[in-house]
Amino acid sequence: MSIEIAADTLPSDLPLSATDRAAAGMRRLMLAFLVTGFSALLVGATIGPLQALNYDGVNAYPALRPILQSYYQGLTIHGVMNGYVFTFFVTCGLLVYLPAREMGVAPNMAMWRACFAVMAAGALCVLYAMGDNSSSVLWTFYPPLKGSPFFYIGITLLALGSTMPLPILLEMRAAWRRHRPGEITPLVTYMSLTTMLMWGLAGVGVVAELVLQLDPWSLGLIGTVDPIINRTLFWLTGHPIVYFWLMPAYVSWYGLLSRQVGGKLISDPMARITFALLMIFSLPVGTHHQFSDPGFSSIWRGILVVLTMSVATPSLVTAFTIGLSLEYAGRLRGGKGWFGWFAALPWADPSVTAQLLAAITFILGGATGIVNGSWQLNAIVHNTTFIPGHFHVTVGSVTAMTFMAISFWMVPHLTGRRLVSRRLALFSAWTWFIGMTLFAIGMTWAGLYGVPRRAWVSALPHDTYHALYGMASVPLALVAAGGVLLWVASYAFFAVFFGTILFGRRTAPPPIPFARSFGGPASYSIDSPPNPARAASPLIRALDHVWLLTGITALATIAAYIPILWPFLHHVTRAPGWILW
Amino acid sequence: MDNHSGMSPFEAAFHASAERHERFWIFGVLVMLVLLTIGTMFYVVHDYGLVTGTRSYATDPQAPAREAPFQDGKVVRTGPNAYAVYMVGRAWHWAPDVIHVPQGAEITFYVTSADVLHGFEIQGTPVNLTAVPGVVGTVKYTFRHAGLFRIICNEYCGMFHHAMVARIIVDPAGTP
Repeated sequence: MSIEIAADTLPSDLPLSATDRAAAGMRRLMLAFLVTGFSALLVGATIGPLQALNYDGVNAYPALRPILQSYYQGLTIHGVMNGYVFTFFVTCGLLVYLPAREMGVAPNMAMWRACFAVMAAGALCVLYAMGDNSSSVLWTFYPPLKGSPFFYIGITLLALGSTMPLPILLEMRAAWRRHRPGEITPLVTYMSLTTMLMWGLAGVGVVAELVLQLDPWSLGLIGTVDPIINRTLFWLTGHPIVYFWLMPAYVSWYGLLSRQVGGKLISDPMARITFALLMIFSLPVGTHHQFSDPGFSSIWRGILVVLTMSVATPSLVTAFTIGLSLEYAGRLRGGKGWFGWFAALPWADPSVTAQLLAAITFILGGATGIVNGSWQLNAIVHNTTFIPGHFHVTVGSVTAMTFMAISFWMVPHLTGRRLVSRRLALFSAWTWFIGMTLFAIGMTWAGLYGVPRRAWVSALPHDTYHALYGMASVPLALVAAGGVLLWVASYAFFAVFFGTILFGRRTAPPPIPFARSFGGPASYSIDSPPNPARAASPLIRALDHVWLLTGITALATIAAYIPILWPFLHHVTRAPGWILW
Repeated sequence: MDNHSGMSPFEAAFHASAERHERFWIFGVLVMLVLLTIGTMFYVVHDYGLVTGTRSYATDPQAPAREAPFQDGKVVRTGPNAYAVYMVGRAWHWAPDVIHVPQGAEITFYVTSADVLHGFEIQGTPVNLTAVPGVVGTVKYTFRHAGLFRIICNEYCGMFHHAMVARIIVDPAGTP
C-alpha cells in the first residue's frame, strides 16, 4: 500500500526539497494552525452557553462585569472567534497540509507561515478591540455602528490571510502537473483548490467594504459611509463564507471518511461536480440575506430564490454519495438489511462518530436553509432565533464537529501521541450532537414565535420578558438545555485535544486516511505509478480547468450584483458613525 | 501495483447499482427543488403585498425622519379601507410607539431609521423590514385579527436593542 507517502521518499529533483526536517516543519506548522483555531473555539464556545441561557431568561452578565460588559460584547466575541478565527485557522492549515501530503509535494513554507502570521496579527487586533468593549458590533459589523480601527483592521488581516493558501495550492499543483503531464488533479487537491478559488473571489466583497469604507472611516480619514452598500458587500462575502465553512468539512467527508469507515468513495466524479457547483452557486446569491431590505427590485428577489434553491443541489448530491459510500463500507463490514449497514459502521472510532453525527445534524441544517431561501417564509423567520438555529446545525455542527473529528486522528498523526481518552472523545461528540440538536430545535421553534435573534432578552424586566416571549417558554428552555450540554461537550473535547498534545502516550504516528474511490488510483503521490487521464470522463476533464470555472463564477457574480448595487450607487446615503453600547 | 486494479464482484455490482440510483436521486432532487421554487414563487405572487418596497432614498440619513408624516406619527387614511403608517426607528424606541389600526384594513407601513439599522418586525405576522437610515422602505399588511401586536426591533442597534418594542393595537372592525 502506498496510501501514506512519507515525504522523505520523494525524488531529490523535486522543485521543493522534501527532507525529514521539512516534513517535521510542515507537521509543526499544521499543528500551530490547529491549536490556534481550537484555542479560538475554546474562547467562543465558553461564551456561547451564556447566550443560550439568556434566551431562557437567565442573565449571567452582571456577575461577569469585570470581564464582559454586556451580552452584546460576549456575542461579538463568540461570533468572531468561532465564525472567523476558529474556522479560518483550521481551514488554512488543512487545505494546505492535506493536498501537500496527497500529492507528495512540499508547500511554500514561507508563504504558509506568512498566512499564519497575518491571520494571527488580525486575530490579536480583533481580540484587543473586542476585549475592551470598543467594538461590540457583532460578527456582521453593520455600519453605521462604529467599532475601533483595531477591529476593522484585524478583520481585514484575517480576511486577506485566509486567502493565502490559494497561491500555495496553485504552486503545488503546478509542480505536480509538471511531473505528471496529462493527469487530472488529485481529488483532495481539487476540492481544496476549488474551495480556495471560491473564497478568493468571495473575499472581494468584504475586503472592498473594509479597505474602501470601514478601515478609513474608523481611522477618521472619511466621515461617512453608506449603510446599505456596505451591507450588500458584506453579504457578497457573508453568504459564500457559509461554503468556506462547509467545503473543508466536505473535503474530509469525501476525501477521508470512506477510508476511515473501511470502504471506498463510490464516486470521484460526483465529488468534483459537487465542488464545482458549490463554487459557482455560492457566489451570486448573497443578497438573499437581504430579502427584508428595501432598495432592490422584486425581479431580482425572484431570481435569487431560484439561484438559492440551486445551491441545495450539491449538498443533496453529497448526501447521496456520502450515504452510499457509508453503506458500501457498512455492508463490507457485515451490516445487513435497511439499517444494519449504518449500525455496522465503526462507531467506536470517535473521528468516525463525530463525522456521522455531524452529517445527521445537517439534515436539519439543510432543511432550515431551504426555508431561509424561500422569500415569503424568510419574511417570517428573518432575524429571529430561527436563523442562528439554522446555522448552528451547519457551521456549529457540520464544520465544528468535522474539525473535531479531524483533530482526533490528526493530533496523533502530527504529534506521535495517542488520544488520552477515546471514551471521552466519543462522549464529547455525542454530547455536542445532542446539545446542538436540542439548541437548534429550540432556536428554530422559538423563531416562529417572533423571538428576535441576538437580543439581550434576559435583561428585560421579568414581566416584559414573559409578555413578549412567554409563549415560547418550552423552545427557549430547550435552547438553554442545549447550551449547557454544549458546555460539557466542549470541555470534554478540549480535555482530549490539549491533553493529547501535552500528555498523550508516545505512539507510531497514524497515516492520513486518504480514501480511494471506485476505479480510482491507490495514490496520487507524485512518485506513484502514472494514472493516465483516460479513465476520466470529458466532464471531469473539463472541470479540471479551474480557471474556466472561476471565470464563469466571476461573471455570474458580476451579473448578479450590478443590478442590485446599481440603485444604491445612484442614491448614496452619507451616514456618520454611532457608538451605542 | 496497478492503479486501476480490478474490482471485486461485490464492488463492481455495488458500483453499477450506485450509478443507476445516482441518476434517480439527482432527478428527484431537481424535481423537488423546482417544485419548491414554484411553490415559494406562487406564494409570493399570490400574496404580493408583503414584498418589501422602496419609497425613496436620501443623501442625508436623517432627512426622511424629518418629513412631516414621520414627525407627526399619525395613522393616515389613504382610501376607503386603506391607511398609511409612518414609523421611525431610533436607538432605542419606535416613533410612534403606540398606534391603533382597524381590523381588515390594508395598512402600508413606511419605515425608516434616524441613526443605525433597525429591524421592523411585527411579532406574529410575516411583516419584517429593515429600517435603513436615509431609505424609506415599505410593506403592506392587513391584520385579519383584532388585538395587541408588538413591533420588535430585530436588527442589533446597541445596548438596549432588546428593549426597543412598540405596540400596534388592532381595533375590531366596526368600532368607530
